[in-house]
Amino acid sequence: MTDLKDFKTRLKIAKKKFKNNSIITNNNENSSFMGTAFKLGTELVSAVLVGTIIGFILDTWFDTKPWLIILFFFLGSVAGILNVIKVAKRMQQED
Amino acid sequence: MATNPMHQFEVHRIGPEIKIADIDLSFTNASLFMFLSAAAICFVLFLGTREKKLIPGKLQLISEMFYNFIAKMISDTAGSKAKPYFPFIFSLFMFVLFCNMLGMLPYSFTVTSHIIVTLIMAIFIFIAVTVIGFLKHGFGYLKLFVPSGVPIFLLPLITVIEIISYLSRPVSLSVRLFANMMAGHTMLKVFGGFVISLGMLGGWLPLGFSVALTGLEILVAFLQAYVFAILTCIYLNDALNLHH
Repeated sequence: MTDLKDFKTRLKIAKKKFKNNSIITNNNENSSFMGTAFKLGTELVSAVLVGTIIGFILDTWFDTKPWLIILFFFLGSVAGILNVIKVAKRMQQED
Repeated sequence: MATNPMHQFEVHRIGPEIKIADIDLSFTNASLFMFLSAAAICFVLFLGTREKKLIPGKLQLISEMFYNFIAKMISDTAGSKAKPYFPFIFSLFMFVLFCNMLGMLPYSFTVTSHIIVTLIMAIFIFIAVTVIGFLKHGFGYLKLFVPSGVPIFLLPLITVIEIISYLSRPVSLSVRLFANMMAGHTMLKVFGGFVISLGMLGGWLPLGFSVALTGLEILVAFLQAYVFAILTCIYLNDALNLHH
């Protein structure tokens, strides 16, 4: 059990060092900024894409070219903005 | 050919051609690297958990770190109800992470830089989450598309928008991973090409960029695996704890 005791004291020292060293957490936050920025971008684009594809499919179904694709493009853009707002809200909650 | 930055993404067959009912099932370099990453995960986790020491060795430490990381992520984002889905999210994270990381090795192939791979994973998650939502809440899950406190004449419009927003989830999930990996690897290759074409005289600057980009790419590889897993958790949270 001497091994264990030795380990405990070493752990205590390491923890003390870790507390003083706040660089690690800082660095972690920094790295996720790029991820969240990219997240917002794809969130916006993907909804527009999906909306347009739905519009295209419905257009070929109902033979109403090009009206539904125009309508769903705008609906998709709105959905994209909604997505971005949702993600931004979630990010604010995390902070 | 070798200087073409897109050459690295080509899928080619290894070994004989296998065709079953007009579907090409040949073993390709993509399948090879999927297999390698799965094998690497098994190898690391098996060796890491073989000796359960009180003071962990390096491999045990890594395995425990991965476990704690994912367990904490799931409990933070999706709550305790999501615990049964831990194995799935853990394997998903590990698979994406190892595919990304194996892709960072020179001469290797990045599986996740192909949209079909990421899209299949995202669609599977999407369908699974939808099924879980309907199983847990029945038709009450459709309330997700009808936010409360909306005037009645706006409701049809909002519902359509919410449905588009819901359907865009697998697209954004897969495109993010695919675009990050592909853009990064193309950029690495482009700068590598600059080193060759500028030669001994001017090649040092792009070489420096290449080194910096490699570091950045390793960060992105980890980050994208993390984002993929955490978004799965968030979608799972929506399905398990329905509140709007």
